[in-house]
Amino acid sequence: MDYLTVAMAKGRTAERAMKFLEKSDVYFSEFTDESRKLVIYDDKQKIKLIFVKAVDVPVYVEKGAADVGIVGKDVMMEDPRDVYELLDLGIGRCKLAVAGYPFTPVENIPFLTVASKYPLVAKEFFDKKGIRTEMIKLNGSIELAPLIGMSDVIVDIVETGTTLKENGLVVLQELADVSARLIVNKASYATKTEDIQQFIKDMKEGLEVRS
Amino acid sequence: MYSEILENEHEVHEKIINILGKRFTTYGYKRIKTSAFEQYDLYSNVRTSINQNEMIKVIDYTGEVLVLRPDVTIPLTQQLVLLHDNLPEEMRYYYVQEVFRQTFQESERIGKTQAGVEFYCESSPASDAETIMLACHALRDVGFLDVKIEIGYAGFFNELIADSDITAEQTAELKMLIQAKNVVEIGPFLQQLSMDPSIKEVLEQLPLLYGAPELVFKRLQNLQVSELAQDAIKYLQRTCDIVELYGLKKHIVIDLGLINHMGYYSGIIFQGYVENFGKPVLMGGRYDALSEEFGVKLPAIGFACEIESLVKASSNKGQKERYSIDVTVLYKESRIKYAIDITNELRERDYRVISKPMIDTKHQSDSLYTIQLTEQQNKLVDQEETKEFIDFKQLLDFIASKKGVPEWII
Repeated sequence: MDYLTVAMAKGRTAERAMKFLEKSDVYFSEFTDESRKLVIYDDKQKIKLIFVKAVDVPVYVEKGAADVGIVGKDVMMEDPRDVYELLDLGIGRCKLAVAGYPFTPVENIPFLTVASKYPLVAKEFFDKKGIRTEMIKLNGSIELAPLIGMSDVIVDIVETGTTLKENGLVVLQELADVSARLIVNKASYATKTEDIQQFIKDMKEGLEVRS
Repeated sequence: MYSEILENEHEVHEKIINILGKRFTTYGYKRIKTSAFEQYDLYSNVRTSINQNEMIKVIDYTGEVLVLRPDVTIPLTQQLVLLHDNLPEEMRYYYVQEVFRQTFQESERIGKTQAGVEFYCESSPASDAETIMLACHALRDVGFLDVKIEIGYAGFFNELIADSDITAEQTAELKMLIQAKNVVEIGPFLQQLSMDPSIKEVLEQLPLLYGAPELVFKRLQNLQVSELAQDAIKYLQRTCDIVELYGLKKHIVIDLGLINHMGYYSGIIFQGYVENFGKPVLMGGRYDALSEEFGVKLPAIGFACEIESLVKASSNKGQKERYSIDVTVLYKESRIKYAIDITNELRERDYRVISKPMIDTKHQSDSLYTIQLTEQQNKLVDQEETKEFIDFKQLLDFIASKKGVPEWII
């Protein structure tokens, strides 16, 4: 039996995606919150779900190790891959934004030091404005960088803004809207067209029920 | 064991080259070779999808810059241009050669073996369909069951945006969205652009113009396109009709959003995919304009596949290919004569056979079949069952009924 392999990161997005699929009678009863399994199958043994780190999802899909992936647009922007991007799941909505202390200038200035998990996206954004930048790539607690004076501003995901607020920072400018996307390996789309289109249909139905 | 993997890989490599060569020959192609070194200038003057900095450069004693053969199509076309000043008659050539490209991923090899065909002929749906058939046929010969050929049309996108007033940057972004079939963002992006609404509609539909030919052509009927684009569609449709006559209906997919790696391609383009492999294993298309860059009209269509990818893809296929030995003959000392007879007979029939004395009956088999010869009986064992046989004829019948000819010959 050939499975449809789906890669996603563990967490809220994955759980909500599974909820969507339940609307189309696709159940993962093997899955529990505490489970540490990295590979699970749906009850009808058609879909194989693998849990990987979010930034690795596009890699798995591009290489064909997974046929389908669910991943945030932010990851795709920072590391574009040769895959199809077929659906906006509308979950995990947030914004990619420039943040810093209130009134930090981000227009018509020659130079900025920027800390970010998304150095390529951030650099392109400021390049277009003609602002030269020094990029500091960080992997977490980005908000710390302006607080200790390591950078002028940060470029990061902002969901509710609570973390920023508690650290005295504000959104200075918005870069892009982000939400979870369904990506597909190009070869899989050719060889497993029906299975993948069915999966997308199931997902879409879940989406519509929700809205 | 690593050495075993290595050996096995080379064996499969050679086997695939043989299979492809045989198949190309049955379509009337003749083998050719091109030089290992080419003039760097040859490549800098031609529009190609090969990046200049991917080429391996060499300097000869006069100080001239050469490149290690990065592809075969371009030098072959250039040579033919020197010999012919028009297309005298059809010419069919195939090659199996290493091509060299610097990759920026460390894990990738610089030298890769490419097998391909070049068919110099007037542009026609019949010749294009035959070439697509050959691509599919060759992949099936290698042993892939689930072959899919995606067919697109290189000029279609350019024709659509020909009259529109958009910047190179916008075109690049639009191409990227179409390649990713990004139906989510393409609509909003198109809204910013100033172009004819009917063209916008087609562009927005482009990612969805994918699937079985009848489906795609039906969708196209509802869209307004220019006369030139209309001609392209007709050509594509006729080609697909003929491809279907070859019996390939279930193997082909139309993808009008296929606009990457266009390089020198002008008409039909196609990519081949096989089961359980994440990248195209074969790429090709029509390149009528290439020879014109050398000043002569020699229209042609061709394709190439990388043997290394095919080896990898066939190793993903699982068990069946795992055996390097067809039959192991195990015998008790007293049956040695019969064992030797059987071994000889099977080898005569091209099976790969090893024979050795039976020491431990719990022999771990790495062959497809094991024959056990004891004082009491002759047994043929495979993964599923054990059968007794009386004479060689019966043994051969058993083997042939299951497997037919030895698998490595094909």
